[in-house]
Amino acid sequence: MTQLQIPIHSSTLANGLRVVIVPDTTAPVVTVGVYYKIGFRLEPQGRSGFAHLFEHMMFQGSENAPKMQHIKLINSSGGVLNGSTMYDVTNYYEAVPSNALERVLWLEADRMRALQVDEENLTNQRDVVKEEVRVNVLNQPYGGFPWLDMPPVAFRNWANAHNFYGDFADLDAASLADVQKFFRTYYLPNNAVLLMLGDVNPQEGQALAEKYFGPISAGAAPPFADPTEPPQTEERRGYVQEKFGTLPAMAIGYVLPPRRTHDWYAMVLLDQALHGGRAGRIHRELVLEKQIAVEADGGVDDVFGYNGPSQMTTRILHKPEYSAEQTLVAFDEVLREVQQKGITDEELSQLKVKWRSDYYSTLEGGRGGYMPRYGLMHLLACFSLFDNEPQLVNTVLQSFLAVQREQIQAVANKYLRPENRAIVFRAPVGKDAKEAA
Amino acid sequence: MATRAPEMASAVPALTPERPVTWPKRTRARLSNGLEVVLAEAHSIPKFHGELLFRAGEALVSDRSVGLAEMTSTVLRTGTAKRNSRRIEEDLRRLGADLGTSAGQDTSAISFAGLSEFAEPLLELVNELSRDASFPPPEFERERRQKLEEVKMERTSPGFLAGERLRKVLFGSHPYARVSPTEQQVAAYRREDLEQVYREIYTPENALLLMVGDFDPQTMLNLAEKTFGNWTGKKPAAKEAPALPAFHGRRVYLVHNPGSVQTQILVGCHAITRKHPDWIRLGLTNSLYGGAFNSRLVMNIREDKGYTYSPRSGVSPLRHHGYFSVSAAVRNEVVAASLTEIFYELDKLRSLLVPPAELADAQNYLTGMFSMGLATQEGLLSQFATVALNELPLDYLETYRDKVRALTSEDLLATARKYFDSANMQIVVVGDRAQVQQQALLFGDTEVYNAQGERLE
Repeated sequence: MTQLQIPIHSSTLANGLRVVIVPDTTAPVVTVGVYYKIGFRLEPQGRSGFAHLFEHMMFQGSENAPKMQHIKLINSSGGVLNGSTMYDVTNYYEAVPSNALERVLWLEADRMRALQVDEENLTNQRDVVKEEVRVNVLNQPYGGFPWLDMPPVAFRNWANAHNFYGDFADLDAASLADVQKFFRTYYLPNNAVLLMLGDVNPQEGQALAEKYFGPISAGAAPPFADPTEPPQTEERRGYVQEKFGTLPAMAIGYVLPPRRTHDWYAMVLLDQALHGGRAGRIHRELVLEKQIAVEADGGVDDVFGYNGPSQMTTRILHKPEYSAEQTLVAFDEVLREVQQKGITDEELSQLKVKWRSDYYSTLEGGRGGYMPRYGLMHLLACFSLFDNEPQLVNTVLQSFLAVQREQIQAVANKYLRPENRAIVFRAPVGKDAKEAA
Repeated sequence: MATRAPEMASAVPALTPERPVTWPKRTRARLSNGLEVVLAEAHSIPKFHGELLFRAGEALVSDRSVGLAEMTSTVLRTGTAKRNSRRIEEDLRRLGADLGTSAGQDTSAISFAGLSEFAEPLLELVNELSRDASFPPPEFERERRQKLEEVKMERTSPGFLAGERLRKVLFGSHPYARVSPTEQQVAAYRREDLEQVYREIYTPENALLLMVGDFDPQTMLNLAEKTFGNWTGKKPAAKEAPALPAFHGRRVYLVHNPGSVQTQILVGCHAITRKHPDWIRLGLTNSLYGGAFNSRLVMNIREDKGYTYSPRSGVSPLRHHGYFSVSAAVRNEVVAASLTEIFYELDKLRSLLVPPAELADAQNYLTGMFSMGLATQEGLLSQFATVALNELPLDYLETYRDKVRALTSEDLLATARKYFDSANMQIVVVGDRAQVQQQALLFGDTEVYNAQGERLE
């Protein structure tokens, strides 16, 4: 078995900014990322959607690079840029020809140091974000299903349960003062990690990091709300109307064991047994064998990328001739089979080979083909910010490959229980979701 | 605003000297049965990516029924003479592999990726699928039933409805107008139709095998010969296709989507194929217009006016024709305002020379983006596939950047005048009729359709 070993150079600047550099001269291209340890989970109450709106503001100008300049400077250097807001982190990233590295670092440092935006920028981006919500959620069949439907049903702590894209009233209420406060509180060097991957010499990269990010002052360690959930004692159910789609849908989510525990590693492989594509048990039984469902997929999304309560979620669109209860019974049978019989050594060995192969692709892979090493960047950032251990990229695979057959059956029994799950039914308009269930 | 350090260098750092862009060497060969092979090494991860491409798809067979090539590709992975569906999926997992089958207008494909250590068994499975698919009747029935639900479902997506209508308008009676089957067509599919399509399209003479990854090319070539070498079959006869409709003036096609809280705009006209000598200059002109974040259209209707989240333009090349289109999902109140800006920016490019600095920025963008593909196995595969499928010159990748850099503002003006046919563009809007029809009428005579494609007025 070939083992992939990523050369990782990591350090921390005096102001607390973590720096991770991974040299690879395959192509004259470098990927730069800045991850801040704040996502939509811990955004302020009464300001749902704010972390994401704020992410848009980070492209609106900084002291030495006014509005349009960030985008223009990256594109005109031959690169691409984007950002995304997740549960527990927000990232900003660029992939550029390596001769633009210094320019990118200057830009990222300028906006970490001195974001400079006005009312007009905020109004503009509030409009843009509303169209984003419409195109992805409000005007799409099954828009936001289940990532926006599930949290209010599954969780009781506001941090985990609110609308992450934002209620329009909250977006309207967001002010420039909120933007400034959020920036001052969370967008600190000591709450971030800077990553450079690709065609970069580690010493030069380090020197440039010092030069541009070194002078930025640290701030007080940000206060974080507690995302802990009160204990759940029974199954939770919720009902949502589907405005456009033609099929009844449901999502079933189970809360995962804490990150990087033995149970968690086993659970992630169990997730592969259940949701691993067309060979996964859920797709096989519901779509291919029993033919109840038209789609049955899902699983643990962004397995390393969260730092609070999270779920393994199955998403099912089923044929109208089957009721939601019949579909759920068939789903439960799939789980019961694993709970009672476990999985075979042969199945576990297949799962491990596939997991290893997928892991390599994550490390190499881009976003949409034009963001090389996005996957590696994301893992390094999350392992730095959540675990303070970027080297996990090279060792974490072993923990999955060490999982035993008995552990899979054990976690199936321990976690796949009604009092650990929530179900959202989303039925087309005209069919009452509750009745259909 | 809060400032964390006063002494920041205020000047944008200059670009340092460029490192050379070197594409990996390709090994080109023809197996003893005529199968064309292109291989390249890329050792980023201990895996390889491949595609077995067939140079025919829907357009060849859509006079029989729409979607047959795609249905054939879907069912072919569900059984071979030696393996049933479950076995195929578990074998893939055992090899750490992914496999996809698909068909477009001009190509059908079996795409695969897996661990290099299991290259031989993976290629053997691809080989079985490409020549010994058995189309088991129960699998066919299930996939047909699934497809029925899919075709109902896709008519609820504004993006699908817009794309389908524009293709119908631009391509008329040409096969490229047929995007997706009706429920009746799917219900009438027969298993024998699929077997017929399979026999015609999936032949070595019609195929191209591409692989990129962590392997030695000579060893891989030997393996390909051993695996595929004794497979035989001729390529299908080419087909005559009808001419495309011509347009005189703009016309609006409104697809009524009741309850829509946003309107999908899609505007388009005929353009060119990848092989056309103007391809690169049209690509650069498009990139400047709406093909990049920094483009004029995005800066105008997103960053200045906030009408939309993701406006973009692009040139879609099919094998025999291409088309240019501009899309934006906008709030209902600004449909007319957005169309005005879309045409304004097109007309501006047709009227005024692009300033030299903006031209240089766009050239840098396009040439830089081109190098991104070098960093991953998939990126390389996709570039090699483009060259091979479109029979582009063998040095296409190596000379592309110089060709982009040689273009002038005068070239772009001429290109915009030739291809951004603003006065005769066809306009599709998908939205709630009551909210948008009055705005749409400002841009031309309007035909109204429902989501099922039936004309309402």
